[in-house]
Amino acid sequence: MAAELVTAVDVVMTVEQIKASQIGMKAIAAALAVGMTGIATGIAEMAIGTAAVGATAENKDTFGLVLLLTVIPETIVIFGLVVALLLLFV
Amino acid sequence: MVGVKNISAPYIYICTRMRVRKTTLLPREEYMRMLNMNLPEITRLIGETDYKQEIDELGTTFKGIDLIEVALSWNLAKEYQKIQEITPGTLKQFTRAYLHRWDIQNVLTILKGRLQGAKTGKIKEILIPAGSLDRVALDRLLAEESSDKIVEMLKGYRMYPQVFAREYPLSKESGSYSQLENELYKQFYSEIISEAESGIKGGKLFLDFIRLEIDIKNVKTLFRLRADTFEEDARAMYIEGGTLSAADFVTLNTMKDQNEFIDALKEKIRQKSIIALLDELRSEKAIRDVENRLTRVQLEQMERMSKRNPISIHPILVYLERKKYEVFNLRALARGKESKLPSEKIAEYLVV
Repeated sequence: MAAELVTAVDVVMTVEQIKASQIGMKAIAAALAVGMTGIATGIAEMAIGTAAVGATAENKDTFGLVLLLTVIPETIVIFGLVVALLLLFV
Repeated sequence: MVGVKNISAPYIYICTRMRVRKTTLLPREEYMRMLNMNLPEITRLIGETDYKQEIDELGTTFKGIDLIEVALSWNLAKEYQKIQEITPGTLKQFTRAYLHRWDIQNVLTILKGRLQGAKTGKIKEILIPAGSLDRVALDRLLAEESSDKIVEMLKGYRMYPQVFAREYPLSKESGSYSQLENELYKQFYSEIISEAESGIKGGKLFLDFIRLEIDIKNVKTLFRLRADTFEEDARAMYIEGGTLSAADFVTLNTMKDQNEFIDALKEKIRQKSIIALLDELRSEKAIRDVENRLTRVQLEQMERMSKRNPISIHPILVYLERKKYEVFNLRALARGKESKLPSEKIAEYLVV
């Protein structure tokens, strides 16, 4: 009887652990989604940004256009953020 | 992630700047328009482009053809100096090495000017201080009346110990600087090749560019020697470092038949762009047309290389070359108009 009780308690603990672990995994996935897309955006913007500064140094009229082009990779990190929010709250 | 580790921000910056600058060069249509203009109209048109500052500054001192000549030289020198300033890292090293040719040209211009008794002011007008010898250093050389003193002053520069010390006394004796000139350019190419092969990052791409240039130069020399009636030592004019060997160069020079020469050249040279052109040159007679077409092929091939390697030394070198030919074209146009040559004749000299 005592042995069965111990087993039941063990099972209950394990389910809680699994739930907690699931939340943890979700948090890690969300962090990865935002973090890695952030790095990717950084790399993409580095290349576009330096080219944009180069183009603007030669021709100031291009500033508006190159500014727009520089922020286009922001979409990558926004997608990451959306995925992270979906993981955490949906 | 391909190539990310190889791309550094300063390289992207400078290559983009060069590409943007290239778009500001005069298009073909502008040259065609200029062909129908007279000299003052051409001066006014040039004054509305990138040459505005020079035309405005020099407008009070010079007139007519002199104004255009000096403004073009000043602009080219300013442009090349600026590029050397803004180029980062190893690209600066390669650019400097590549522009070292202007030192050779300037020193030879001064020496030849002195030999022919030209006025200091006239020599100064055509100098382009784009290399390591800046305007001040060139002025100091120009201040000297005797060629010996000029050569003496070059002792601190790298072109002196290897070439001047050996070749200058011989040139002085013969009264011609052609041998000295050949040797200076040979040394120049061997130096930039050893710089490209020294293991510096991007050296391989620089080497490809130099090889193409040497090959084009050697092929042009071969065509020139064919058109020439004098018997000259071909080996003295051969530049090492291209795909054509010295032995092949001498053998090709001995061939009298044009078809036989072109077939042999096609076998020996390993540049696809030149091989493709050679067939078209079979019937070409005028050496100027041959040279023009070879220059065009060279520029097109350089352009292709810069598109294949957009973040490398290529976009910078392509701009340097394009800018040089823009100045040459404008000078040819202005000189042609000054001499009242017909437009069709001037158009033949343009590299567009």
